[in-house]
Order: sequence, then structure tokens, then C-alpha cells
Amino acid sequence: MKRRTFLAGVGGGIFALIGAGTLVYSQIPVIPKRPEPDAKTAIGWISFNNNRFSLTLPRVEMGQNIATGLKQIACTELGADWDRVDVAFHDTGMDRVKATVGSESMMLFAEPLAQACASLRDALEAGRDSGEIAVTPRPGSELRAMKKCGYIGRSPEIVQGQDIVTGRPLYAGDVMRSGQLFGRVLRAPESVERSTRPLSWNADDARTVPGFVAIVEDCGPAIGKAQGLGIVAERSGALDAIAEALAVSWDVTGTPENVDIQETIDIDANLAAGGLPHSVLDGVPEDGKYDVDQRLDVPLAAHSPIEPRVAVAEWQGGALTVWSGTQDAFYVRDVLLDAFGADGVTLQSMRVGGGFGGKVSATVELEAAALARGVGAPVKVQWTRAQEFTLGYHRPPASHRVRARVFDGKVTDWDHGQVSSHIFFTSAVAPKWMQRATDALIGDDGVARGMVPPYALGRARAAYDVKRLAVHTAAWRGLGAGPNGLAIECAMDEAARVANEDPLEFRLKHIDDRLLRAVLQRVAEISDWEHPPCYEDGLRKGRGIACGIYKGTSYAAVVADVAVEDNGATKVEKLWCAHDCGMVVNPDQVRAQCEGNLAWSIGMIFTDNLPTDKGVVMAQTFIDAPIPRNSDVPDMVIELVESARAPQGAGETAIVAGPAAIANAIRAATGVRIEQFPLKQGDLAV
Amino acid sequence: MSFTLNGQTHDIPDDWREETLLVLLREHFNLVGAKFGCGVGLCGACTVIVDGVATRSCITLARDVDGGTVRTVEGLAGEDDLHPVQQAWLDLSVPQCGFCQAGQIMSAVALLENRSRPSEAEIEEAMDGNLCRCGTYPRIRAAIARLVEASI
Ligand code: FES
Ligand code: FES
Repeated sequence: MKRRTFLAGVGGGIFALIGAGTLVYSQIPVIPKRPEPDAKTAIGWISFNNNRFSLTLPRVEMGQNIATGLKQIACTELGADWDRVDVAFHDTGMDRVKATVGSESMMLFAEPLAQACASLRDALEAGRDSGEIAVTPRPGSELRAMKKCGYIGRSPEIVQGQDIVTGRPLYAGDVMRSGQLFGRVLRAPESVERSTRPLSWNADDARTVPGFVAIVEDCGPAIGKAQGLGIVAERSGALDAIAEALAVSWDVTGTPENVDIQETIDIDANLAAGGLPHSVLDGVPEDGKYDVDQRLDVPLAAHSPIEPRVAVAEWQGGALTVWSGTQDAFYVRDVLLDAFGADGVTLQSMRVGGGFGGKVSATVELEAAALARGVGAPVKVQWTRAQEFTLGYHRPPASHRVRARVFDGKVTDWDHGQVSSHIFFTSAVAPKWMQRATDALIGDDGVARGMVPPYALGRARAAYDVKRLAVHTAAWRGLGAGPNGLAIECAMDEAARVANEDPLEFRLKHIDDRLLRAVLQRVAEISDWEHPPCYEDGLRKGRGIACGIYKGTSYAAVVADVAVEDNGATKVEKLWCAHDCGMVVNPDQVRAQCEGNLAWSIGMIFTDNLPTDKGVVMAQTFIDAPIPRNSDVPDMVIELVESARAPQGAGETAIVAGPAAIANAIRAATGVRIEQFPLKQGDLAV
Repeated sequence: MSFTLNGQTHDIPDDWREETLLVLLREHFNLVGAKFGCGVGLCGACTVIVDGVATRSCITLARDVDGGTVRTVEGLAGEDDLHPVQQAWLDLSVPQCGFCQAGQIMSAVALLENRSRPSEAEIEEAMDGNLCRCGTYPRIRAAIARLVEASI
């Protein structure tokens, strides 16, 4: 069947006339703008009316409970009671704010917000009761919210907590507009780097499915090179049946590059083929044999938020409104404007059901907008779990080799090489021609994040390469810092063994940074480091330690205890974490972020893996790509060390240390140094 | 066909019988507490209580609850007070993103109604099917432990 117009009759009498695709979508990507927040912009976040304050959050709420943290800042600076400040999520009518990424909300937004609140307080005290306030920035030391007073350092009930536990509508998927329909864009079960488009389909069969509304050919831009075919139904439950009845056959052309992902990024093959182009540390290790020579690979992995990507779109005349739980409302708005050239696009940001760096690009928003335009009614698009796996972008796989030479109890030479795929210049957004330029000129700092060890290691070299793969990769919690920390901290552990030293003492000997020393010493105290668990009841037990710095600002050290059965079944029995992100605004929620990072650390070691075959993602469900369960995640002791610094980030710190602490505990328990993650049970069987 | 939903009797319209209970709740009754997370019974985000049993509403058909009793997270709280499980969840700030939590809460409610003093193994069995990517598991166990203690 060729492109043509469909007329679909529905029980309720809705008729939808859907034109064939005429739009050509731009091939030039929209580049995200990331303005730094300042006090001037911040005045748009806070207002006073009817004796109440209203705080429009400049950040997206995705579980870091930044809504609570920023409300604490506002209440403290304004001198307002908790119940007198209402919190709203921003839409794109507000002045642009940068994406909610990189654990920088407290670091960058707390002070501007406090400045704006202080000026508003002054104005109210001076008797003003209307008009716009100018912000007169004052020294940070005069801001109440930058001190331990008022709500700072406390943990009030979380914003929207009542709504969450009572099931109130909060997320984009809960939006229900009048006359709303449900849509999906079908795409070929192929690599998104192959050119695919719908060739023919069985519309007559699809029409017989109860609830069928329309087939929409012009269903928005391709994802990668995968063009889709849209379907719309009265209920979400009909979409599976319609998709099945349609039985679309696909035109598939082009061979994607690098379908064998393992082989492409194999560090040893890449080293043998020549050097790594992007240097992170340019010391020159001496030639000769290394004492530690360790390979470490992590595979592609999915973010797997429990909320799949979802958006609702509604057109009113030429103006488009979209509700989405995106981490970057303004960027998605810009992409929608670029794609549809609408009279106006408003994106309303909603509570995000888990982001982790995965909800930054524009996907379901484009699909929903195109389908809504096609059928002339509001449409909700929620990706299936299988679409999440096949159409989303993922943690890049990474292959590392770390070599170290130890002399007289110290590392004298260090050589760390890595091959991975793009994070900042993701293939999900950057076309190949653009990526070629970034590859040649600047590499990808996302991959390099955390590759500089926090140690003085003599002649130290670190370098990497990035390869475009058949599966799209991009930002993940901590970017490269998680896997890089794992590689570095496993190698340091081996170096300590070579030196025959306690891994804690050995680390301390190589650390100048007093804040890193402090968290290491603190985690040793709370875990009673000197007294590790020993063999019992046929279980091999072991304890491991690791530490790291995230983005040069936040510090974490982690101790893990593991128990390994004879058959290799491994359980993390307990975790301790000492964490320093400067002044703590909300101790309970900084702890919660540490807990989340440690759960992700368990994931990195035991589960995270998105299986592919010839460049095609094979996972359909959580069975194919599992995430940690309740019983996998043990009790934790989190200790907040509060150095005298302004608030820093907490969302991605402990992931630089947690995975290696577990891997090092496994090494201590079993003598086995895992090189391929996630661990397979057989790896540790005796 | 009809069923009891949060204490009130409702019809299941003919043309909704073959839908899943999750779709019926969300799209017909506008009760959006139960969430779509996977659609195949593997994440627990859609958990509701059917005749006293924690049930994945995404793989239960509307017609299968004919004559039955369905409770959702929206029906837990009284006029003035939250259900003790909801309150414990707030007291310990269990939710991060919150998306899994309605399902977690319903699994916990069903567990505690069936076992006033669940063993560790029973807690594990009841809660292991409810995934949480944010990693709130230790707090979920702590909240349950607190409720068990309070019930003694
Ligand atoms: S949505 Fe029902 S178990 Fe996942
Ligand atoms: S709180 Fe986010 S998935 Fe559980």
C-alpha cells in the first residue's frame, strides 16, 4: 500500500482524515542551549500574591526531590512558613533554564534563588505589594539560605509526597485531556542506524480492531534513520492489537557501522591497531613490564526508569501544547518548533518517573505532536518497554585496560586506555558529519569524565577513543565516571596487593586532597574497616573499599561486604558510604541520593546489560534486561561529611566508588578479579 | 458485569470487558495511581489489590474482576488520615521519583493484611516483584519493619 489518505470510522462517530506525509523534517540538529542561571533570571521563579508565595521550579523533579530542597531555600530566605509557599513546575513560558542534568541544581540554582528571594523580602518589607522587583545581589555571606538556619539542614516532608502516596495525577502519563486519544509510532525492528521506512501494511485488518481510530503516515521525524508509521486508538489497550493486525513490512536499506559492538570497542584490538586519539593525562610511563595489567569491560545498558517515556500533545489552531516528563523542557520545545514550525509551542514539564540522563532528547513529544496533528485531537504516546530498549539511547559500552607499576609501596607508572561510544555528541542527536568533526577536534568529555584518577600516580597516562555504534548511546547517571571509577579503583586495589599493603592505607598514601582523605577515613571508621567478616557457613566473605571525586566537587568513599556461595551466587550484605557535598540543605535527601547511587552500583556489577545481536537490541522485557530487585539491595549506612563549602551535587557521586567497592569485596572473598561485567554466577563457582 | 472499586459498586461496561484492569482503571475510571511500567507483569508498578491479593492489573482482564473487590492506592486513605502504610512511606521519605510507589504501597498493604508479622522471607517474596529503579528498597523495608513493630 502506498502513501494515501485514510478515512476511519469509529463507533463513537469520530472521523479522522489524515493526510499523507508532506513535511520534510530538518536534517540539522537543534543544539541545546544551556544558559547558566543568575539572580536576574531567578526573579521569574518566585512571586507573591494574595499573601502567598509561589515558587516556579527552575529544575525538573525526577526523584532527587529538588522541589523540596529549593523550597527550603526559598522559605528560609523569605522567612516564610512551609505552608505559605506553593511549588509549581515550569513550562517554557518562563525564561529559559538549562537541562536538569549533572547534579548541579543545588550547586548552581540555590544561590540565585536565594538572591531573588532576599530582594523580594526586602521589597515586601519596604511596603511594596505589586510590580516587578529588581534583584540587587548581595554577598553570599548575607544570604540566610546559605547558612545553617531556618529550613536549611532539615528534612521536611517531601514536596508532592502526599500526592505520590495517594496516587494523585502527577506524571505526563496521568494527563487526560478532553477527547484524548492514544497513539504509537511503529518502527522497524532494526538498528536505528539503518534507513527503514514502512513499505506496506494491512489497513483493513487494523480497522476491524475495536477502538481503532486512524493510521497516520506523517508521524514526525525519524528516530535515528528509522521512519515510522503512526497508529491512533480510543484506548491504549487497542494499540497492541492494531499493531499486530497492521503487520507492517519494512523497507530496510543501508548497513550500519560497527554492528559487532564488542569487537568495535575491544580495547586490546584498538591498542594493537594504534594509539588512542584523545588524551586525558599525558604523562609518559616508562617501558617495561607492568605489575598490574587489567582488562575491564562494561556492556551497553538501559536506563530503565520505571516510567517509560510518555507525552501528551494537543493542538489549538496552530499552537501546540505538550506535557512531558523531560529533563530538558526548553530543548524539547525548540525541537518541536523546528519540526512543526507551529505558531507557538508550550512544553509543560511534569514530574519525571525516573530520568537518570535518559530523558533529555525529544522522542515521544514529537510522536505525540505529529499524531495529534494527524487526528485533530489530543494524543498521548507512551513507549512500550520494548520501545524503551530499542529506540532509546543507552549507557555506552566501554572497554578498559589499566596498567600500573608499583615500586616501594607506591604507583610509579599508570596507563589507562578506554574505547567507548559517544555521550555528549550522541548519535541520537548528532549526525555522522557532525560527529566526525567532534571526533577529530575534541573527543567526548562525557566519556572522559572521571578518567583522571584522584591519586598522585607518578608517570600517568590516560587516553580514550569513541566509536559510532549501531545502537545509540548517550548520557547515563554519572556519564563515564561510573565505569571509569570502577576501572581505576579495581586497578588500585590490585596495586595495593602487589605492594602488599592494606587497600585503605595504600590509597591514603596516594591522596593529597584532604576532603577525599576525610571521606575515606570516615567510611573506614563507620564500617570498622579493621574487622572484615570472615568465612562462615560455607560462604566466602570479603570486604572491599573504593573512593572517588565527582566533577571535582563531591566526594564519596564506600565499603562493601559480600558473601559468595559455592555455586557462585553472590550477595552484597551491607554497604557503608561516606559522602561530602559541602553544606547539606536536606540531609535525608542527600542520603536518598547516596542510596540510589549504591543501588545503581549493584546494578553495574550484577545486572546492567542490554543484549544486542548484529546491532539490533534484543531485549523486550525486564527479563532480558533486568535491574536490581529489593532483595539484591542490602541495608546501607550513609554518613554525611559536611566540609565548609557551598552546596555541591549529590546525584551521581557514590556511583564513582560503589561498584568498585563491591568488585573489590568479591576479589577479597574469592580471589577472582572480574573483568567482564555484569558478573555471571558461574564466574565465582568453585 | 460489575465490581466493587474502593468500596463502591461500579458497572464494567460491555466494551471495556476485554481491556486490562489497568486500562479500565486509568482510562475509564480516571484512577491513575496504578502505573504502566512494563505491561507484562514484571515490574509491579500497576499493582492493585483484588479480593485481598496483590495483583498486576496490567495482565488482569477487566472481565476477570467481575463480582470481585478491587482496591487501588486512591482508596486507602480515610477522610482525615492516611492509611498507616502511606503514612510510614511519608515518614521515612520512601519515594524518590515515586513512579513505582503506588505499586509498592499496595504490595505492602496486601502483605501486612495477610501477615501481621511477616518474616524476612515473606517480605522478600511479597516485595521482590515490585521494581524500583531509584533504589528505594532499603527504605521500603524500613517502612514495613516500622509498621510491623507498631502492630505488636
Ligand atoms: S506494568 Fe504491570 S507489572 Fe509492569
Ligand atoms: S521511586 Fe523511582 S522507581 Fe521507585
